[in-house]
Amino acid sequence: MGIGLASRPRAAVPAGVFAVGAGLQVALTARPGQGDPAPVLAVTLAVLAIPVVLGCLVGTRVPDGQVGAALAWVGAAPAAVFAVEMWGETDLTSSPWPGAHAVYLVKLGAWVWNLAGFAALCLVFPSGLLPGPRWRAVAWTVAAAGVAVNATVSWTAANLRDGPAETPAVLTAFGVLLAALGASVLSLVVRYRRGTRTTRTQLRWLILGAGSVPVLLACGWAAQTWWDAGDTVAYTGFLLAMLVAVPAAVVVAVLRHDLFDVDRLLGSSLAWLLTSLASAAVFACVGYAAGSLLGADARLGVSGAAFVAALALPVLHRHVNDRVGRLVDRERFVLDARVRDFVRDVRDGTAQPETVEAVLRDVLGDPELRLLVRLPDGPPGEYVGLSGEAAVPAEGRTRIPLRTGEIEVGVVVLGAASARRLRRARHAAVQARLPIEVTRLRLELRAALDEVRTSRARLLSASARERRQLERDLHDGAQQQIVAAGMRLRSVQRGLRPGTAEHRDLDAVVETLEATVVELRRLAHGVRPARLDDGLAAALGALVAASPVEVRLSVPGDVRVDEVAATTAYYVVAEAYANALKHADAATVTIRVDDDGGVLRIMVADDGVGGARGALGSVRDRVASAGGGLAVSSPPGGGTLVEVSIPHADRGGR
Amino acid sequence: MRIVVADDSVLFREGIVRLLTEAGHDVVAAVGDADALEAAVAVHRPDLAVIDVRMPPAMTDDGARAALRLRAATPGLPMVLLSQHVETRHSVSLVASGGFGYLLKDRVLRVDDFLDALNRVASGGSALDPEVVGALLAPAGRPDPLAALTEREHDVLALVAEGHTNAGVAARLCLAERTVETHMRSIFQKLRITDDGDRHRRVLAVLAYVTR
Repeated sequence: MGIGLASRPRAAVPAGVFAVGAGLQVALTARPGQGDPAPVLAVTLAVLAIPVVLGCLVGTRVPDGQVGAALAWVGAAPAAVFAVEMWGETDLTSSPWPGAHAVYLVKLGAWVWNLAGFAALCLVFPSGLLPGPRWRAVAWTVAAAGVAVNATVSWTAANLRDGPAETPAVLTAFGVLLAALGASVLSLVVRYRRGTRTTRTQLRWLILGAGSVPVLLACGWAAQTWWDAGDTVAYTGFLLAMLVAVPAAVVVAVLRHDLFDVDRLLGSSLAWLLTSLASAAVFACVGYAAGSLLGADARLGVSGAAFVAALALPVLHRHVNDRVGRLVDRERFVLDARVRDFVRDVRDGTAQPETVEAVLRDVLGDPELRLLVRLPDGPPGEYVGLSGEAAVPAEGRTRIPLRTGEIEVGVVVLGAASARRLRRARHAAVQARLPIEVTRLRLELRAALDEVRTSRARLLSASARERRQLERDLHDGAQQQIVAAGMRLRSVQRGLRPGTAEHRDLDAVVETLEATVVELRRLAHGVRPARLDDGLAAALGALVAASPVEVRLSVPGDVRVDEVAATTAYYVVAEAYANALKHADAATVTIRVDDDGGVLRIMVADDGVGGARGALGSVRDRVASAGGGLAVSSPPGGGTLVEVSIPHADRGGR
Repeated sequence: MRIVVADDSVLFREGIVRLLTEAGHDVVAAVGDADALEAAVAVHRPDLAVIDVRMPPAMTDDGARAALRLRAATPGLPMVLLSQHVETRHSVSLVASGGFGYLLKDRVLRVDDFLDALNRVASGGSALDPEVVGALLAPAGRPDPLAALTEREHDVLALVAEGHTNAGVAARLCLAERTVETHMRSIFQKLRITDDGDRHRRVLAVLAYVTR
C-alpha cells in the first residue's frame, strides 16, 4: 500500500480499499465454517470504519494534504489485511477461492501492513505534507521495508525453513522496517521542535491520543497477568485507543486544535497517570514491607498500605502536577510565576497595582488586552479604564467578566481569542485578582475624593456668593432703611421746639438708630469684609491699621484673585494675626502675600513665644475647602510661622 | 445752594431731599443711578453733588467711579460721597483734589454736622469721615510717625484731617484758637510738613503723609 505519496491519493482510495476489504470479509464469513462469528466481524468492521470515516471527514474539510488519507489508511489497511488473510485461509479448506494459494503466501507476512496507516500518519501529521524533501526517502523506505518484511516472512513461513539465506534476510528486512518506523516517529519530534505554536498544539493532541495506547496496552497486560482476563477484554482498550483515541485526536488536532487547552489536558492526564503509578508503587512497597515484618497478617498489611497510599496521594499529585505542568505546560507555569511575582511586588509596595493591565498584556502576549472596571455607582455596562477614563469594551471581542459574588466588578477584554488564550487569561485574571481589586478600589476612592473636592469647592463658592449677598442686603437694605427712618425722625424733630421732652426723645431714638447702624456694619463686616471690594491689599491694610504692635505688611497692590481665594486669604491672615496679638506676646508681626502664578502664598510670622498648638483649626478647614494647604511652625520660644497656599483663578474678581 | 442727589434707595433719597430742602437748599435733581447722575450734573450745573458709592448698574462702586469721571468732566464741582462702610480706595485720591467729602451714610443723622460738612466741601474744602481718618491715622505697620505726637496733638490732627478749620477744632476741643495753632505748628514740625496756610492743603498734607 506504500504510502503512495507520489500519486497524491485522497481519502477516497483508502475508503474504497476499506469497502472492498469489508465486502470480502463479509463474503468470506458467509462461507460455512470460516472466519469469526458474524457479531465479532460486525464489531471489528465498525471499529475499523471509525478511522476511515474520520479520515474522509478530515479529507473533505482539509482537501490539501494527506492527513485525511493517512488517517483513513489506519482503518483501511487492517481491513484489507484481514480480508487477504481470510482469503488466503480458504486455501486450507475444501473449497478454496480462486488464487487462494498465492494469496495465502502473501497473507503470511501481510500483518506488517497494519502499521502502514500509522507510519503515514506520523510522516504527514499535522500539515499533510512531509516535514521536508529528504523525508521522501524515509517514506519510500517504509514502503520498501514493508514489502521486504512481507516477502521474507512469507517466503520463510511458506518454506518452513530457517536457512542460512533466510535468517539474515528476515533480520535485515525487520531492521530496516524498524529504522524506517523509528524515523517516522522521529519526524514528529522534528516537527515539534521546528514547529509554530499551532503545530505544537496539534502535535500535543496527537501525543495525548497516542499516549493512551501504551497506557491501555500496559493495563491490558496487567489485567491478563494478574486477573487472568481474556484476550478480548484485555486488549479491547488497547485496540480502542489505537483505532478510536488516536484518530479522534488527529481529527481534533487538524480541525479544531483550539477545542480545549490541550496542554492542560495533557498535563493533567500525565500527572494523574504518574500519580497513580507512584501510589501503586507506594501501596506495593508498604504492603510488601508489612507482610515481611508482621508475618502472615495480610489484611493488616493491605489496610496499612492503602492508608499510606491514601496519605501520599494528594501530596504526590500536587508535586507531580507541578513538575508535569512545568514540563508539559511551560507557558502556563511561567505565566503563573510572573503573576505571582507581580502580586508579591504589589503587596510589598514595589509595584503599582495600576500596572496590572500592562502585566496581563505582557504575560498573555496580548498587547490589545484591556482591563476595565466598574465603579460602584456607575450604571450597568459602563466601565472605566485604569486611569479613570470612561471606556467601552470593543465590540466583538472576547470578554472575561470579573465578579465579586453576584456583582460584576470589571471585565478583561481580550485582543485575540482562542480557547487556549481564554483559559490562560481567565487563569491570569484569577491570579491577579488582588491587584485588580486594589486598583478598582483606588479608582473608586479617587473618584469619590474628586467628587468631594469639587462639591466642597462648589459649596465654598456658593457660600462666598451668599455672604456677599448677605453683606449687600445688610448694607443696602437694613442700614439704608434705618438711616431713612432716622432722617424722617430728624425731619419731624425740626417742627418741635428744642429743649422739649419730645425733642430730646427723638434725639435719643436717632442715637439708638445710629448705634444700630454701626452694629449692623460690624455684623456685615463679620459676614464678609466689605473692604475686600477694594482688593485684598486694602482689606488687609485696614485689618492691621489699628495694630498695637509693629506690623510689616507686604501685599502687592495689584494682586487680583477670585472671591473665594480673597475671602479665604483675608480670614487666614485675620486669624493668624489675631492669634499673634492675643497669645504670642509678639513685638513684630510680618505678613507677606505673594501671587505665585495662580497660587496665593501667604506668610504670617511673629517673633513671639511660639508653642502654638492646635490653633487655626477652622481656618485650616477653610483653606482645605479652597483647595489650598496650611502649615504652622511654632517652636517654643521661636515665634510662630504660618504658611498658606491657596490656588486661585484670576477671573478678575476682587 | 443747588444740589444734585444720587442714590438708588428711594427711601433714603426722599429722606435726604427733604432734609436738604428743610435746611433751605434747592435739590435740583434726585436720581437713582450713575448715568442719570452724570446727565443731571451736565444739565443743572449744581453747586454740589451728593453721591451714593454703591449704585446701579454694577452695584459695586459705580458712584465713586462716576465721581472720578465728573471730576474730569466738570472740574471744580464739589462732591460728597456717601458710603455704607469705610473704604479708602477712592476717597483718598479724590480728597487730594479738594472740594470733596467722604462720609458714612449714617452721618446724615447728625444733621448739623452733615450740613456743615456739605458747606465746607461746597466752598472748596474737605470733609472726611472720622472713621476713615481713624483708619488712616492708625499706626499701620510702619515706623509710626505719629508716635511722636502727644495725645492732644493727635486729637487736633484727627479733626484737621476731617477738614475742620482751626476755629472748628478749637470749638470741638474747647480750646482757644491760638492753642490749636500752637499744636498745629508742633504737629507740622514733628511730621516735617511745611504749613502753607491753605486750610484744605493742611488736610491733604497730613493725609498724604500718613497714607504714603
